[in-house]
Amino acid sequence: MGSVDVSGVRHTLPDGRVLLDDVSFRVGDGARAALVGENGAGKTTLLRIVAGDLVPEAGTVSRSGGLGVMRQFIGSVRDDTTVQRFLVDLAAPAVRAAWDAVEAAELALMETDDEPAQLAYADALAQWGDVGGYDTEVTWDTVTVAALGVPYDRCKYRELSTLSGGEQKRLALEALLRGPEQVLLLDEPDNYLDVPGKRWLEQRLRETRKTVLFVSHDRELLATVADRVVTVEGGTAWVHGGGFAGYAEARSARHERMAELRRRWEEEHQRLVDLVRTLQQQAANSPDMASRYRAMQTRLAKFEADGPPPEKPPEQEVSMRLRGGRTGVRAVVAEQLELSGLMRPFDLEVWYGDRVGVLGANGAGKSHFLRLLAGQDVAHSGAWRLGARVVPGFFAQTHAHPEWLDRTPVDLLWHGEPGRPGVDRGRAMAVLRRYGLTAVADQPFRTLSGGQQARLQVVMLELSGATLLLLDEPTDNLDVLSAEALEEALAAFDGTVLAVTHDRWFARSFDRFLVFGADGRVYESVEPVFDEARVARAR
Amino acid sequence: MTLTDDIAHDTAVELAVARLVDEFRPRVRPQVVGTVVRSCRRDLSGVPATALPELVERLARTRLETVA
Repeated sequence: MGSVDVSGVRHTLPDGRVLLDDVSFRVGDGARAALVGENGAGKTTLLRIVAGDLVPEAGTVSRSGGLGVMRQFIGSVRDDTTVQRFLVDLAAPAVRAAWDAVEAAELALMETDDEPAQLAYADALAQWGDVGGYDTEVTWDTVTVAALGVPYDRCKYRELSTLSGGEQKRLALEALLRGPEQVLLLDEPDNYLDVPGKRWLEQRLRETRKTVLFVSHDRELLATVADRVVTVEGGTAWVHGGGFAGYAEARSARHERMAELRRRWEEEHQRLVDLVRTLQQQAANSPDMASRYRAMQTRLAKFEADGPPPEKPPEQEVSMRLRGGRTGVRAVVAEQLELSGLMRPFDLEVWYGDRVGVLGANGAGKSHFLRLLAGQDVAHSGAWRLGARVVPGFFAQTHAHPEWLDRTPVDLLWHGEPGRPGVDRGRAMAVLRRYGLTAVADQPFRTLSGGQQARLQVVMLELSGATLLLLDEPTDNLDVLSAEALEEALAAFDGTVLAVTHDRWFARSFDRFLVFGADGRVYESVEPVFDEARVARAR
Repeated sequence: MTLTDDIAHDTAVELAVARLVDEFRPRVRPQVVGTVVRSCRRDLSGVPATALPELVERLARTRLETVA
């Protein structure tokens, strides 16, 4: 049994802007609520407030049933965190504290093997047993077998960075779904998952009796799993009590209703103002009217003090202009190409203007293939070449640009890089405006939301003059509207596009598919193929 | 059954006593070793069973080294 109750929550950004105000909703026992909204609207902030990481400026959050949190960065862990540490961090606070105490006592014992150190270690072990640590380790074993196919003892010291994004996500999901916490907060749980992984996630979330609040941009997942939709927009949140199927209609009806209420308020306001003016003139001639004039003034003041109803949230405007340019007829040619240890040799010809969806299981080498075409150093045999005037532009999956973290979008655009000339501030701001990034133009890259980082990467593609777009999961962090804008931009792009995607809806806009099979075979298909099995690798 | 009887028949205690008697002969008498091990076992009564033999022996060895 678990639930989350958010009441009157307000949050202000460090620069003084109010991000969220008067946010109230309840996710009752066993409900599966989706949290949706545009990139940067405050979904992740709201999840952090619900998780207790951030203290709201006003309002309260009450939770019952223990809380399990899966954060957005899971899937892109690149530091030296081990599988063991990762599972500990996902466990309940008491288990985490007991584990840290055991580790600290172990270290102390290694340094000084005396009686107090031994007793402290014994105490920590007893505490570990008391909080259910040994049972937790049994659960972790089930989790690693389910997610990675190996027992806990064999993978606990393995670094998380050696797992693919999908494997990291799956590990976290297995741990949370099998754990004792009754309320799960999942920030984009489907990112980095391949389609069988997404189907598995949909099924598990439908089956679970836990209370789930999740953020996702995958419309198929939203439609299958959510039984209510919490929308963060216009600085507050509202709840659609049904599934995602009727959501678009409910949202536009709500927007119309808001606009109508606002119009009525403004009409009534104008009527009162006119009335006050008329009574003011009449009061000058008639003392009888003076009291009515004062009464009307009071009424207007009260009406204005109550304030107008909130305005309809502005529609997000994202306009991407990927121009490209005419290239040689053969844009990409590969002959007996093989990425070492990942696949069998294959031939490929991609023509100018082709839209090629690169599909297949996690770990089959799709991202490596794109990186190779982008000119990065990837071990391979066989030959490949790009056609005349083909300029590759690469969109990275994990936003793995450590060198960008402390730089601002304007700075990044101003400096440029090989293949992308720098632009002055005025031009940078103009292009950022089209992508809805003006507000964050001077913020460090690390503070941008996943979707904003993704849109900035598309800005860079636009400015680079690329004629071959190599996109690795471009819609993963984009909200539905931005994803639609990207799709329109790709349709208008004069050039060739190769995109790795697990987005079932996005994949339907491509006309050829290159499938990386689990058996190492690479083949073409006219229809999207999503059910390639996971790649079995020795671990 | 009392706690003392429990401890007397504890395998963790028996194994530790056997090993430590050999290790500390002739500096410490076997009876003293037995008493020290049993007192260590009592001090470690909350420790999970799997970790007990190692911790009992280790603590007893530390204490015996100070008296030997």
